[in-house]
Amino acid sequence: MIRFFMHGRVGKGASLPWQRHWCRLLCDATLPTLSRLASLIAWAKARRRALAHPALIALLGLAAPAFGQTAPPSAAPPRQHISIGYVEIEGDPRYEPIRAYERLVLKTRDHPFPGAQIGIDEAAVLVRVLNTEFALERITVKSPAEVAPAVTAALERRGIHFFLIDAPAEAFKPLAAAAKGRDALLFNVSAADDGLRRDLCAREVVHVIPSLAMRMDALTQYLASRKWRDILVFEGPLPGDAETVRAFTRSAQKFGAKIVADQRFKTGTDPREREQNNPALLSAIRGNYDVVFVADEAFDFVRQVPYHTVLPRPVVGGIDLEPVAWHWTWEHNGAPQVNSRFDKKSGGRRMESADWAAWVAVKMVVQATLRTRSADFPKQRDFILGDAGFDGDKGLPVSVRPWDHQVRQAVLLAAPYMVVGSAPMEGFLHRTNELDTLGDDEPETSCRLNR
Amino acid sequence: MPILRLLSAPLCIVAFAAALSSAGWAKDTGLVFVSNEKTNNLIVIDPKTNKVVKDLRTSRRPRDMHFNKDHTKLYVACGDDDVIDIIDVAKLEVVGKLSTGSSPETFGIDESRRRIYVSNEEGSSLSVIDMDQNIIVQEVPTGAEPEGVFVSEDGHFVYVTSEVGDLIHLIDADSGNVVQDVVVGTRPRRFAATPDHKELWVSAELSGEVYIIDREKFTVEGKIEFLPPGMRKTDVTPVDLRITRDGKTAYVTLGHAAHVAVVDVPTRKIQGYILVGKRSWGLGMSRDEKTLYVANGFGDDVTVIDLKTRKATVSIPVGRIPWGVVIDD
Repeated sequence: MIRFFMHGRVGKGASLPWQRHWCRLLCDATLPTLSRLASLIAWAKARRRALAHPALIALLGLAAPAFGQTAPPSAAPPRQHISIGYVEIEGDPRYEPIRAYERLVLKTRDHPFPGAQIGIDEAAVLVRVLNTEFALERITVKSPAEVAPAVTAALERRGIHFFLIDAPAEAFKPLAAAAKGRDALLFNVSAADDGLRRDLCAREVVHVIPSLAMRMDALTQYLASRKWRDILVFEGPLPGDAETVRAFTRSAQKFGAKIVADQRFKTGTDPREREQNNPALLSAIRGNYDVVFVADEAFDFVRQVPYHTVLPRPVVGGIDLEPVAWHWTWEHNGAPQVNSRFDKKSGGRRMESADWAAWVAVKMVVQATLRTRSADFPKQRDFILGDAGFDGDKGLPVSVRPWDHQVRQAVLLAAPYMVVGSAPMEGFLHRTNELDTLGDDEPETSCRLNR
Repeated sequence: MPILRLLSAPLCIVAFAAALSSAGWAKDTGLVFVSNEKTNNLIVIDPKTNKVVKDLRTSRRPRDMHFNKDHTKLYVACGDDDVIDIIDVAKLEVVGKLSTGSSPETFGIDESRRRIYVSNEEGSSLSVIDMDQNIIVQEVPTGAEPEGVFVSEDGHFVYVTSEVGDLIHLIDADSGNVVQDVVVGTRPRRFAATPDHKELWVSAELSGEVYIIDREKFTVEGKIEFLPPGMRKTDVTPVDLRITRDGKTAYVTLGHAAHVAVVDVPTRKIQGYILVGKRSWGLGMSRDEKTLYVANGFGDDVTVIDLKTRKATVSIPVGRIPWGVVIDD
């Protein structure tokens, strides 16, 4: 079952042809019709003055005709509409709250839809400049398997070319197959799996959310920059935990850190398994270490690690110091304003990594329209996949890597109440773009979309 | 209108007398004022000694500052309290406040109309404030995160940048309507006009450029890209800029690239770069155009540049996250 909702349409609905003609120049998208009339009157006044003002005459392209002699309304090109699909899965377990007990919620989680909405809101002002409205179409399906058919249907029947895909990794293989060679660009906003970048390697997909490899590289750069190079690893039982440790091990090799021991833990209190479930015993290894890295997707055991290790050492990875795409305490590069817009839009939620990705995905579509002055899909796609830089409010401009379509970006090292660093860390250099010290650089991956 | 003229004549005399009386002890103190976002204060520096002479408490998050015409008052936009503080320059204390929209950042004053135009970073609007009545008479919707405000010399138009929209809005000051927009580079920040009133220079922070707008046509006429030696393009984040009175030289702060660029205005060629502190943003230039003050946001200090030798002479510690510099001279 597929549900369609229209959200966040920018500007007004139908307007009279004469209104449209005028509104191209002077109406603000948020003005109701009555105030448009008021502004028309004000405009008439301003224009009378403008007739004596060469600057305004020039900018309006008016050869000083008497007021009222406007071009026929048919001269106004029709307003363009660009819909962006937002595909999500109802009951996606990734957005279930994390609880300690039924009534003790540790983390509430939600779909990044409000992130996309603030991107649409920001584009409202461009209606005036581009004569183009942007809208989100929220498409909710029941399972990852339904994502591909829903996208195909929206592409074929509704002419939507851009989609934000808020789905786990398993949805992407059939999706990429269905979209192959078609006029579609699919923005992955919430699946961090490295396999999607390395093995699936699909031309129609842009990975806006940072890959696991990028996040682990960012964390390792930070540790290396502090000279905390000896690392004790606690690895959980889930497949995701093994994946995380694999990525972290790779990063450690890359940046000269050393994993001194990899301890498998098991959550519980069974005294017979204390060697595996007690952080003090797990951390009582022979030799020293600088930090404890914990991979615990379930976010259960990891809570017990800080302050329970034998040596007084910081805990990183799954708690206390986490590499993220976005954090609500980031206060540079215009971030406070974005956080505040998000807070309002979402009803008080704090903006997180997937929200950032959804926001940036919409921004890319809007920028492509603005900079190419076109609603022509191939032109917009080529702009996004080209060497354009986008403002992600994280300092260095974000852009799409041509080899695997991962969005290169800074990764924030977030403590609970402070972003303690932003990777790439100072001193980690790259021959072309320092952001490519995070994740798979061109020679490090088999994905070659640019060849 | 003879009646009006009759009425206004004595008013003028009163105003002139008032200006004279205050001018006697408030004018041209030469003091340098630095606003500090995180410490909620203005640090006042004596330029002769480069010593801090006053730590002036303001409302929270002081940013843009402007003097009134006779320099008796200094207006300071305070982002976290949604006010513009009014400072008595002779007494060096806050004597009043004007209410603004949400998170005022920069503003322009039109004294002939007694109006302040202030961009509200959070509110995505430009507030038009009546200075005498202390009320917002109009709220003009802008693109998200409006920042730079420039009021045309005749007061008819106001130019505003939208950092997120990558736009410059041209606003008709009477009607409060946006009459035209022009698209520039990424994250446009501040303005400087050439003295012949023909060009408006706009910094685009994230694309690392300055855009030059032809004011008559309101189109982009050219742009300047910066790259100090040894820096990467991505470090170059221009924010503030000043053009000298003879219209020959422009100074542009380059943010994370920690340099000020010197540009020959007629040819638009870069003449050189002056090393300053981390995240250099705000600029202040002395009236004799011999000294430039640069606020280093991540250095918590101000770099003083001798413009004759184009060298930084001294750095003065101020408050946390210095934002802008103005000089009472």
